[in-house]
Amino acid sequence: MKRRSVLGLGVIVFTSAMVWFVPGIDDGVESVFQLLVLLVSR
Amino acid sequence: MLWFKRLSVVGFWLVLVLSVAVITAAVKQRFEDGPNRVFSGGALIQGALYQGREPDWSFVNEIATIELQLLQPEQSRRVWVASVSGRLFVWSGYMNSFMGKLWKQWPLQAERDNRAVVRIDGKRYKRQLVRVREGAVLDDLTAIINEKYPSRTSRAAVESGAVWVYELAPRSEPTEMVQGARP
Repeated sequence: MKRRSVLGLGVIVFTSAMVWFVPGIDDGVESVFQLLVLLVSR
Repeated sequence: MLWFKRLSVVGFWLVLVLSVAVITAAVKQRFEDGPNRVFSGGALIQGALYQGREPDWSFVNEIATIELQLLQPEQSRRVWVASVSGRLFVWSGYMNSFMGKLWKQWPLQAERDNRAVVRIDGKRYKRQLVRVREGAVLDDLTAIINEKYPSRTSRAAVESGAVWVYELAPRSEPTEMVQGARP
């Protein structure tokens, strides 16, 4: 359980850091989100 | 049954990564100069501040969206826009629904402080949001909205409060106190 929590925290930190610091990823994430919203709203 | 468990685990991690990525991207955008496509942005900083005569806003009927920023809080978002008789209008739908009230915060914020800045084609304009609740202008405005966007709205929807329409009117700045002058 503890191992899984640490892994989860690591995934959260790593994902956040990638989106925040690597140029272009945030834009790509927004595109995916936009697509998901469009699919759900149809 | 094992495959279902494995699929659930993979699904959980995918949803976690996607959720974290979306939240991070949305928060990051709040620190940027203006909104992106969906996520709200920070204050509109770049772009010359327009000074001059009141423009004829008819040209916005050829523009898909504009950037709208309130002064309190200093957040900006991309909104649909239309012009009637040279006047500038923006609006917000779903205002009677629960989801709409959660999702559309800027009209409620504008009720508290209606000062706004809009950026159109890289030029910034100081405006104030004046709510339009009724009137014949709504017939013309909703006709333009329905023609321009994949939207079906009406004067009745505006008058019922389901759609909040605002005119982006020129901002009437409070008279600045001249040093040494008596009030």
